[in-house]
Amino acid sequence: MGPSMLALVQNETIKLLRRRRFLVVLLILAVLIPIFTYAQYRSVVTAQERMGTTDWRTLLQQQIVDTQNRLASSRLPEEWREFLKIRVQQQQYYLDHDINPMAPGAPTFARGFMDQAVSLFLPMIIVVLAVDLVSAEYSEGTIKLLLTRPVRRWKVLTSKYITLLLFTSLTVLMTLLLAYLISGVVFGYAGWDLPVLTGFDVTGGELVTSAVFMLPQWKYLLMQYGLGWFVCIVVGTITFMVSVLVRSAAAGMGIMMAALISGTILTQMASTWESSKYLFVVNLQLTDYLAGTLPPIKGMTLPFSLAVLSVWAVAALIVAYAVFIRRDVAS
Amino acid sequence: MGGRAVAETVLSVKGLRKTIGGRPIIHDMTFDVYAGEVFGFLGPNGAGKTTTIRMLVGLASADGGEIDIGGISLRRSFPQAIAQVGCIVENPELYKFMTGRENLEHFARMSGGIPPERIEEIVRFVDLERAIDDKVKTYSLGMRQRLGIAQALLHRPKLLILDEPTNGLDPAGIRELRQFIRRLAEEEGLAVFVSSHLLSEIEMMCDRVAIINKGRVISVGPVQDLMEQFADRVAWTFPPEAERRGRDVLSGLPFVERVWPDGEGRLYCRMDTERIGEANAALVRAGVPVLGIAAKTVTLEDLFLALTGGGGEDGAEHARTGTK
Repeated sequence: MGPSMLALVQNETIKLLRRRRFLVVLLILAVLIPIFTYAQYRSVVTAQERMGTTDWRTLLQQQIVDTQNRLASSRLPEEWREFLKIRVQQQQYYLDHDINPMAPGAPTFARGFMDQAVSLFLPMIIVVLAVDLVSAEYSEGTIKLLLTRPVRRWKVLTSKYITLLLFTSLTVLMTLLLAYLISGVVFGYAGWDLPVLTGFDVTGGELVTSAVFMLPQWKYLLMQYGLGWFVCIVVGTITFMVSVLVRSAAAGMGIMMAALISGTILTQMASTWESSKYLFVVNLQLTDYLAGTLPPIKGMTLPFSLAVLSVWAVAALIVAYAVFIRRDVAS
Repeated sequence: MGGRAVAETVLSVKGLRKTIGGRPIIHDMTFDVYAGEVFGFLGPNGAGKTTTIRMLVGLASADGGEIDIGGISLRRSFPQAIAQVGCIVENPELYKFMTGRENLEHFARMSGGIPPERIEEIVRFVDLERAIDDKVKTYSLGMRQRLGIAQALLHRPKLLILDEPTNGLDPAGIRELRQFIRRLAEEEGLAVFVSSHLLSEIEMMCDRVAIINKGRVISVGPVQDLMEQFADRVAWTFPPEAERRGRDVLSGLPFVERVWPDGEGRLYCRMDTERIGEANAALVRAGVPVLGIAAKTVTLEDLFLALTGGGGEDGAEHARTGTK
């Protein structure tokens, strides 16, 4: 009696692929990653031209000097000053231990790309994937056929959610793969074993290096993309709820974009508004905890952000299921 | 009628109620649908037909009452109950970005245990062999309608629910659909539940009909009984002083079945409209002046008037014949 969950997930997968949502996601990645690769390449070349050297030690030393000069100017806002101070300390640490933090290579590019993409770019891609997963069935009227089968509503919604988890994971995987393959054309494919430092701890505006340890880059990437995956799952789950609540894909897209973009703005200016750290959009920059940069609000830690994001995701799921199961399908 | 009494009750609705936004929409609806019959659900737009159908197929929850399908409670055992139902609620909206076959495979997977041969069989049955591998967005309305029927029949339901199935079809399409529905009931033994706001449509394809208005069932009975009672009426207008005599003369004619006043100075009678001349001649012979004669084809509005207000007596009588 009744179909297996596998059959339902198969259905949802076919529909998602036929709607060309995943194709769009891949296209966005395939267009943007070369652009970022080129931009990265230009910035490296420009820096080398300016300094007249290709030695990374000289370049890094110069960057530290530049930043210290900026710190000397008193016009800097306090939060920004702290952020720069910590970055200088970190760069000095790398220099002291003779480790090039930006050694060229596809794995390094993939690491930099995730740092940049985790709070806005990747979440937006996930929104594209998830925003009409449920609402399209309503707006196209097919919900009437979907819910008049010998399948309980929670099972229908679960099959959609599993499909979303599947494709979210696939998107993160493809991001890593495409970032590696495309940037490798320019930077070369070596660098999996390069040492990367992590375990920085920011306490009271000072960088604590006592717990710092060295990781081969591939391990670091694994952790970093794992965190990126978690962020994508959370954003996907919240978008999923929006898709249940809002029937129009455009409205859903608008809501999620507004949330994500205001999150980006808030992280840059929210250090004075402390309770904003409970918003999910302020906690998306998870990979910064690995890299050891100053969190947007004092007292935010990796476990704190993971907890906030988990609570949001669970709450979104509860709302999505409660509404989907109880709501009458109106015309 | 006696023969059908032994037929299986496929759909049983008892005391169904629904309130939307604090306003009662459906009041205490009760009716049964039997295997092998086409059951009409007749009412004007806004009478609550679609709301009722949504509850029958589980798209909306009922606020009271019971819906049993094949003896299984829809509320308590939704999957088991709905597995016996095929439906098209409003338009057949299928996945336009997939082919007809992919749509059928999608729904086959949801029902479980439907072999690929069944898909081939149903495609042949609705005559869509040539277009089945085209995307649904290229289909005409008629083709979509047929694909809709295919998905509804795919899992061999006992009960087929169609909401205003002839909407948007041309006369040829309507005729085809009518024959198709009759065949399903007569040859396959399906119970077919068809809603409509057109009396003529119900008359042509249904065995029994429930007439609903403002969320209430006002009558349930064989279509024939209904039509016999309300078809072919003639409205006579007499001067007030001659009304009494006019009524006597008309009542005395052998081909006039019943005479009743409409309360606005006119007399209605049930009779074959082709014999208006004869009736008029009889009135003239009796010296009754006639001011006007109008042959009335029954409209849904007349029917409601007769069943609810104007002809309360008839309504009551009809409701009695309708009780099984």
